[in-house]
Amino acid sequence: MKAIGLIIVVLVGALLLYSTEDFPSWGDPASPASVHVAAHHLKKAIPETSVPNVVTAVLADYRGYDTMFETSVIFCAGLGCFVLLRLFKKRDDDSYYRHVATGITLHIKKDKIPDASSEFERIDTLWTPYDLIVKNVCRILAPFVQLFALYVIAHGHHSPGGGFQGGVILGASVILIAISHDMRTALGRISEKTVHILMAVGVLIYSGIGALCILMGRNFLDYAALSRILFTDKIEARSLGIFGVEVGVGITVMAVMISIYNNLSSEGRQDEGL
Amino acid sequence: MDVIVILLLICGLVFFTGGAVGILRFPDFYTRLHPAGKMDTLGSFLMVLAVALYNIHDFSWAALLTSLKILLIVLFIFILNPTATHAIVDAGFRAGMRPWTKEDRGK
Repeated sequence: MKAIGLIIVVLVGALLLYSTEDFPSWGDPASPASVHVAAHHLKKAIPETSVPNVVTAVLADYRGYDTMFETSVIFCAGLGCFVLLRLFKKRDDDSYYRHVATGITLHIKKDKIPDASSEFERIDTLWTPYDLIVKNVCRILAPFVQLFALYVIAHGHHSPGGGFQGGVILGASVILIAISHDMRTALGRISEKTVHILMAVGVLIYSGIGALCILMGRNFLDYAALSRILFTDKIEARSLGIFGVEVGVGITVMAVMISIYNNLSSEGRQDEGL
Repeated sequence: MDVIVILLLICGLVFFTGGAVGILRFPDFYTRLHPAGKMDTLGSFLMVLAVALYNIHDFSWAALLTSLKILLIVLFIFILNPTATHAIVDAGFRAGMRPWTKEDRGK
């Protein structure tokens, strides 16, 4: 069986190597890729969409259909992690509590778990450091990280950035809270239910903007159709449409990042974990 | 102005070099983190200050805004670099790294 696999791999590899001869050489100005489409995008991106960053214009407008399914792929990755990893079974081990005033760690048997009170706080079984400096610095820093993420999403028109990058930074800010405090704190800020609703909402925003373009009488994801509801000209409407789908992408990416992290680090239980 | 920028850059370079030499030459984990945390913080402060000064060479309000944004980087490095060093030292201590003492000399 292994021999057959090896033969197939070698054959396909040889075919690929053989066919690379037919590619145009690197940086060839006469290659099909640089003659038709790229030149059009470089020349027409600003007059047609008023987006100075050509990458964003191509990503969210000229090939917006492709990017929509990229977002769906990320959504599916999040769903896949959820389906494969999530366990709806509570950890029935003993648990640990910390007496807040003295810092003493208490080991409590599973059937004698105390009621919620402000004197004791639950701590993780595996990893129990109490680090005031790291906790507070991360708590202070998280809003700035989120502000920067929103800047990256909104500034994708003018500089490198956009929905994917900004969404990852937004997700990282919540993961930072989860790492520096514990997972229960992070889940208190943004619960599992919210995360999964946001995952779907992002894709819905993207495809909803596309569907709205059909309703306004043009092609799917042809943002020029939105000029009548946005009260702008068609060029400005395309710019705003790009911004709308970037927000959708950002929301999905953020939620998927948080969901995958929570599921992986807590072995699917979403109660505790690094 | 250029003189100040060059002086700041050279000072920053001295601190960065000191940090690099310290990381290579200090005997153990904890003492190596000492130059890594401190020298990088001050070195990057001087470097970024030089960049911010150079940026307002041709003065305009937009350039001043960019310089302020550059200085914001320093603020975050000032908060974060010591915190990161603290977290690494803490992790090393929990993992059971023994600090270097005089008895270890020559090993």
